[in-house]
Amino acid sequence: MNELIDKLKGEIIEQLNLEDVKKEDIDNDAPLFGEGLGLDSIDALELIVLLEKNYGIKVANPADGKKIFQSIRTMAQYIQDNKK
Amino acid sequence: MEAYIRGVGIISPQKTFDTEEFLPEVVEYSNNSLRCMEPSYKDFLNPTLARRMGRVVKMGIAASSACFKDSGIAMPDAIMTGTALGCLEDTEKFLLAIIENDEQFLTPTSFVQSTHNTVSAQIALQLKCMNYNFTYVHKGYSFESSVLDGLMTIAEGNGKNILVGGHDEMTDKYYRVCDRVGYWKKEMVPTMQLINSKSDGSVAGEGAAFFMLSPEASDKNYAKLRSLKFIYKPENQQEIESRISEMLAEKGLTANDIDLVIYGINGDARYDGIYNQLKDSYFKNSTAAYFKHLCGEYQTSGSFAMWLAARILKSKSIPPSVLIGDNRHTSIKNVLIYNSFMGTDHAAFLLSQC
Repeated sequence: MNELIDKLKGEIIEQLNLEDVKKEDIDNDAPLFGEGLGLDSIDALELIVLLEKNYGIKVANPADGKKIFQSIRTMAQYIQDNKK
Repeated sequence: MEAYIRGVGIISPQKTFDTEEFLPEVVEYSNNSLRCMEPSYKDFLNPTLARRMGRVVKMGIAASSACFKDSGIAMPDAIMTGTALGCLEDTEKFLLAIIENDEQFLTPTSFVQSTHNTVSAQIALQLKCMNYNFTYVHKGYSFESSVLDGLMTIAEGNGKNILVGGHDEMTDKYYRVCDRVGYWKKEMVPTMQLINSKSDGSVAGEGAAFFMLSPEASDKNYAKLRSLKFIYKPENQQEIESRISEMLAEKGLTANDIDLVIYGINGDARYDGIYNQLKDSYFKNSTAAYFKHLCGEYQTSGSFAMWLAARILKSKSIPPSVLIGDNRHTSIKNVLIYNSFMGTDHAAFLLSQC
């Protein structure tokens, strides 16, 4: 799980072009949106594409997004549970 | 239609950004591709917003910020920009992603940022400016069209502080595409030798330059922009000279009244003859200068020339690095810019001392 979290942080930094953010700056349990990393709705779309492209996971129900993208840990857990 | 240039802001391949110094030294390039000397954008942009912006968007915002600061105008009555290529870097990212991912997994950011009007839109968003906002995309007339719109807006009394500008970025891919159609020189020519080159092709350039136009006289003004003419695909030298004569006559001037002519000489043997003929005959009594060895060839390079003319008129001095031959005039009152992009889109600007 820790390995996946670390990998995911790198992918998010690259995909969202978080120039000044390092992996260690991202708290595993901090909210991704609003507070924490301060991501917004465009980032949410980027993360959905990231899940599909890098892990083959489609977020079929948009309502699940709120739970999945709560934090890095919830995202990693979702990947672990759904990875094909 | 006339307007004063109240403020300027420019990012170019030279040390021109946010500085009082006027081309104190020239940065020479030897790789046929001049890239801008960019500032640290953290001073102008919120990092959260900046992370989604391509290079030309950041350049545009920083250059326009410098123009606002220089002019002392915080909120323009209108924003007009010109760009031939738009946000090329993001366009390439988006198109490449379509190809590489077989039209799947398309992300929104590069698409959203790739539109040509992103720069003028982002300037307006930063300022929360809801006024007239327009982007002209007309190849070698993109910047000129924005200036024309600015002049017309002022002439119609629809605004007192009009931001006009031009911006284009060069990417490695675009350089290669243009190279294949013969835009650039095959051999490497150091930029300070560009004027002596006898081969086809030029050197690639880029830049972002903004100007605050105003109808009001002020001690702060750089120059008065008195006329702008488009001379599309002139048939011969006679047509060019005749159109320039008409332009000058409208202002009660003749060729002898032009103290300085700034030519768009780009080292391309196919097109430089036009400038040389003007220089050696029609404007034989005027001091001659050129600028594309400083910024390279790009569709909105007229914006660099307008910045150069404005600075010359305000500082009452011509940097030695732009002179062709000697300065024949002790004072510079009237400046004409004659520029063209690849032999088709010719334009002449007339600027005078305030």
